[in-house]
Amino acid sequence: MKEQLAAIVAEVEGAVPALDKRAAFEAFKATISGPNGKLTAAMKGMKDVPKEEKPAMGKLLNETKQQIEALYAETLARLEAAETAEKLGPPIDPTLPCPDTATGSLHPLTQTRRLIESVFRKVGFTVAEGPEVETEWYCFDALNTPEDHPARDAQDTLFLPEAAVVENVSKHGSERHILRSHTSTVQIRTMMKEQPPLRIISPGRVFRRDTTDATHSANFHQMEGLYVDKNVTVVDLKAILDYFVAEIFGKGSTVRLRPSFFPFTEPSFELDMKTPNLGKLSNQWIELGGCGMVDPNVFKSVGYDPEQWTGYAFGMGIERIAMIVHGIDDIRYFYQNDLRFLQQFA
Amino acid sequence: MKISLKWLKNYVDLDVSAEQLADDLPMIGLEVESVESTGLPQFENLVVGEILSREQHPDADRLGVCMVQVGEGEPQQIVCGASNYKVGDRVPVALPGCVLLGDFKIKASKLRGVPSNGMMCSAKELGMGDDHSGLLILEQRPEIGTPINDVFPGGDTVIELELTANRGDCLSHIGVAREIAALYAKELRLPKVKQHPGSGEGLISAVEVETPDCPLYTATSIKGVNIAPSPAWLQEALKSIGLRPINNVVDVTNYVLMETGQPLHAFDAQKIKGGKLVVRAATEGEPIVTLDEHKRKLTAGMMVIADAERPLVVAGVMGSLDAEVDNATTDIVLESAWFRPGSIRATSRALNLFSDSSHRFSRDVDPVGVDFAARRAIDLILQVAGGEVVGPCISVGQPPRGDRTITITPDYVRRVCGFEVEDAAIAGTFTRLGFTVDTSAYQWSVHVPSFRPEVDRPIDLVEEFIRLHGTPQIPEAPVKATGLTREDDALAVFNRRAVQKLAGENFAECSHYTLTDGTSLAKWFGPERADALRLDNPLTTEQSHLRPSLIPGLLDALRLNFNNGNHPARLCETGRVFRTVEGKLWELASVAFVIAVDDGRRRWRERPAPDFFTAKKLIGELASLAGIKPAKLAYELTGEDEPLWQVGHAAHAACWKKTGYKSFAGLISVDALKDWDLDTLVLAGELIILPEFLAKKSDKTVRLSPFSSFPPVTRDLALVVDAATTAESVRRDLLKAANKAVGGKFACEEVEAFDLYAGQGLPEGKKSLAFAIAFRAPDRTLTDKEVGTAFDALQEAMKAMGYTVRA
Repeated sequence: MKEQLAAIVAEVEGAVPALDKRAAFEAFKATISGPNGKLTAAMKGMKDVPKEEKPAMGKLLNETKQQIEALYAETLARLEAAETAEKLGPPIDPTLPCPDTATGSLHPLTQTRRLIESVFRKVGFTVAEGPEVETEWYCFDALNTPEDHPARDAQDTLFLPEAAVVENVSKHGSERHILRSHTSTVQIRTMMKEQPPLRIISPGRVFRRDTTDATHSANFHQMEGLYVDKNVTVVDLKAILDYFVAEIFGKGSTVRLRPSFFPFTEPSFELDMKTPNLGKLSNQWIELGGCGMVDPNVFKSVGYDPEQWTGYAFGMGIERIAMIVHGIDDIRYFYQNDLRFLQQFA
Repeated sequence: MKISLKWLKNYVDLDVSAEQLADDLPMIGLEVESVESTGLPQFENLVVGEILSREQHPDADRLGVCMVQVGEGEPQQIVCGASNYKVGDRVPVALPGCVLLGDFKIKASKLRGVPSNGMMCSAKELGMGDDHSGLLILEQRPEIGTPINDVFPGGDTVIELELTANRGDCLSHIGVAREIAALYAKELRLPKVKQHPGSGEGLISAVEVETPDCPLYTATSIKGVNIAPSPAWLQEALKSIGLRPINNVVDVTNYVLMETGQPLHAFDAQKIKGGKLVVRAATEGEPIVTLDEHKRKLTAGMMVIADAERPLVVAGVMGSLDAEVDNATTDIVLESAWFRPGSIRATSRALNLFSDSSHRFSRDVDPVGVDFAARRAIDLILQVAGGEVVGPCISVGQPPRGDRTITITPDYVRRVCGFEVEDAAIAGTFTRLGFTVDTSAYQWSVHVPSFRPEVDRPIDLVEEFIRLHGTPQIPEAPVKATGLTREDDALAVFNRRAVQKLAGENFAECSHYTLTDGTSLAKWFGPERADALRLDNPLTTEQSHLRPSLIPGLLDALRLNFNNGNHPARLCETGRVFRTVEGKLWELASVAFVIAVDDGRRRWRERPAPDFFTAKKLIGELASLAGIKPAKLAYELTGEDEPLWQVGHAAHAACWKKTGYKSFAGLISVDALKDWDLDTLVLAGELIILPEFLAKKSDKTVRLSPFSSFPPVTRDLALVVDAATTAESVRRDLLKAANKAVGGKFACEEVEAFDLYAGQGLPEGKKSLAFAIAFRAPDRTLTDKEVGTAFDALQEAMKAMGYTVRA
């Protein structure tokens, strides 16, 4: 019996170092401690041991069992460690580059647009959208620019064919479809749909029949603003523009309203801005856009009572603002989509 | 409009510098395009001096200390660094108070300790060229003390104005002078004109006006003019603003045009056949050779000035060679008229012929000024070309509009402006503009002369006030801000979320032109669809059509970025696209992306390649941002009618009628990749939505659906089906059968394909699809037995439907 137990221990000691898989370990374990295992058999043999030898043999058997359990535990720990190590793989080199190289980014125009939107949202303006394909009435007539007005020159407006009908862009009469030349059309559509008071901005794409160069683009983006309420004054217009320019270009920037002409505002102004922290463009007047008090004729064409309602409107180029803010000198970059440009401003 | 300051000074005193004027004009609404000075600028305290002596400077080898006689009084000591002069030379001397170019102020000072009371000047310092090698020696020895501007007269500054469409009145020197007079509160001086009662018979018998587009026409006959080059002053004036002198009579008409803004026309009387002028509509196809020597065909409705036989002038636009005043002309008929702006504009545009005349007529000249301009021109013609006025001035019609009176209260002005200003200040600005104001009652009457047609309403007067009062006077104020009154439009919100989502998925957002080239469009979207997207008047063939999709632009961007070595992987865009759906053209919102399956970058560790299902997942997520449940997207393979997409590897889903969308996902066709020079496979996806659908999306709150707290039991079932059978159709059958099999006792929660197999062990043309079917009860743990019963029933039902259960 004693020899038998010693042999079992010797077998286990001899076998376990070679076991490298859990399954092999379990199979081997069964040959020793399983129902038909050698150790199990030896334990069963206890009943044949003479009574006076039983205490000593019992003790020996227990010791043997513990010895073997310890070998099992040690082996299991070794196997688990190996499994874990395999799962984890070799230690990393944290300085290697990430193989997932694609990086998400917002287009600089989107970034600029969002910046402007958030500035205006703080003072109660929300975004209104309108169609890019428009009609002559929404783009001109409703904006106090009748057919024979010199400001309405077919030279730089893009037309759809005479018979074209865009199903979800309503016409006022039988006028033609055009590509909108300014976002002021959204003023009209919004006022015809909603009741005053109204505070909207409408960023969007506009089209000109222009040859593309560093400063001209067949399409570009504008941001129109409209405020309609009772007793809106020129002082209010100046105040919102002062606020906008300070938010975008920083405190210390100044605004200048230069008298000008737009058919849909009266009085009308060009909006100029001067700021001390703009590199080469510092401390000189830079034109940002146009603005003015909504012309009473515009209110008439959308069915608002001009005796009751007053308002201001302004418009500026989103590319232009992005170009000024980031020092971009060619508008074509915005539409070339070179990643080195797109991801520079993220 | 070019304005010569020298010319302008005939009508208004200018005591500000040209620079100051160029800064001030934009602030009253006259934008300055450029300022060009010729000759010598106006200098104060810059006179002719004679060098009486030169001593060496005690402390500087290169400096001389000169005594210079600069007029009466003591000679001045001036330190000078030049060396090209000798004692006795006369030179320009800038004395203290003089401001040289570049705002260089001359003061009495000390140079290396020696007092110097001025500076002797080089040519460059006077702005007379680049010679800076030494003093400008005045070889002609002008009188000592003479102001340098008298030695070099002829200097002028020409300001080019870019005028807004409403300021036709400023397309003349008098018009601009009037604004300057108002700006600086100066007096405006108009030239005096004479009456010319002609004696005897006129050169033409009558003017017949047959068109409503000419409410006023005047013609004056002048006999015996001597055609010759104009006198120097006239030639200089025209040249200063870029006009070419032609002969004295034509030059006078041009001069008066630029002086008063009224276009005039001089006919050679002997070339007028039939002895009368007819203002009429052209007949269709009527030919005329205009002065620019172009043969033109007129169309009906264009207005001409004709004689008995032929048109002589495209009215208000350009004369013809047939009635031109030439060197042999002795008798002329001078036209001064008012034509309707719309008519002139339309003709000018139709002929693509723009002249100084048409520019002014189309901006509404002052009809009351017609007579003044005619008399001014006659005065000048008689002065520079001789001759005499014969016969009466023929005048047909009346000025179509005159002065007008606007009623306004000063309170209205203050209400629009939003700041306090005194009545007198308001009335003062109107008066300065040449308006007459009656302030005796609360309602003021403001009389606006005919030269300001666009000042028509009280609000127009407010603009005039604020323009002259000065916008810097507008006080600062806080922004009026109350809470939001509305939400951003649904489309704006969707675009923002979609781009944010894609940026979060590592896409770089792009922006491409809306206009695209028709040929490529026809190739990838079919000629019929392309034709519906055509523009009527495109500028170039590359930008002749509206885009139906954002994907071609994104493919362009992939190509560009590959060519530039940027290894592009993921690009996206949002924007409007235009599509014909069910025979009608729509403006639609789109969000699209492309993925280069191999971005060409080498990696130390490989990543699994994206596939169709990458695109499908993204489209599903974008759809859910638009309120469309991804599970509702019923995909079908795209066919040959969508050549942009690879047959067998791309799919589309649409539900146009109810929810207004179309979506595409999958591989770009290999043909397209070749066209775009792309070496990698490209996955793409596009979701196109009717914007109105987004706005209609219900904002109903989602209510909680209760869920079971007991575990699910899952059974797997593999079915052998035809290779062409879609997984979704099998899944639906399974779901239906499973629901039936459980018989309402518990629920079949989910049926999902988890394995696809074809090949060994299966017949040719067949595949095996394995599904996991999850059962769950809301109130208990399911037993194997009850699930087993349901599962058996399910298998039987599938077999009954003709499916083969794979063992």
